[in-house]
Amino acid sequence: MGFSSSEAEDLSQDVFVTFLERLDQFEGKSQLRTWLFGILHFKMLERRRALALDSRNDTIDEIFESHFDANGSWQRPPADLERLLISKESGVMIQNCLEGLTANQREAFVLREIEEICTGDICKILGLTVTNFGVLIHRARARLRHCLEAKGLNRP
Amino acid sequence: MISCRNVAKLLMSDQLEAQGWWKRMQVRLHLAMCKICSKLELQIQQMRKSAKNMSEQSDADSDLEERILRRLSGR
Repeated sequence: MGFSSSEAEDLSQDVFVTFLERLDQFEGKSQLRTWLFGILHFKMLERRRALALDSRNDTIDEIFESHFDANGSWQRPPADLERLLISKESGVMIQNCLEGLTANQREAFVLREIEEICTGDICKILGLTVTNFGVLIHRARARLRHCLEAKGLNRP
Repeated sequence: MISCRNVAKLLMSDQLEAQGWWKRMQVRLHLAMCKICSKLELQIQQMRKSAKNMSEQSDADSDLEERILRRLSGR
């Protein structure tokens, strides 16, 4: 989720310690997995308190809009990513591009696409409305697409 | 008629399921006819797949889980 490996190691230890300490408070109302990710989320928030939250405006929104004309039709269709995404380096590129996302966008993307947690549970974990989550995942995917597109253009 | 921009927005923001059946139907119809929008839908799926592969690969490369378990059990 965008931490260095040593930070990630600290963080997961932290999560498991809290998990064991609070195990008796787990009421079984949510899935254990949801609860664990909830703990992880709060531990990450603690670490990121110094960092500013996502701003209301993100330049990626303008980039997304620039694909369409005034009528909402494509004026700049999405470039081909197929070849890039099936190539051997696609993992490294995705990892690379994920680093360009804000912490919240990355978290939304990882929970949704990699952990495959349903929107309802992600909203519970992150304390978001469905609309807020929509904005985050939209920006995350747009940023990732944009970054991959740029990498595709730079390839021989 | 629903515009390409709105279809793209619904796909990218995962909000399709939250729409009423009529809207969902319009989007499905649009995707059946519009090559560019269905290409975007495919790309979203491909990015998901690549991200998943990437994470499985890095999971396989690390023994972090094992180390945590070892530390927790005091071995």
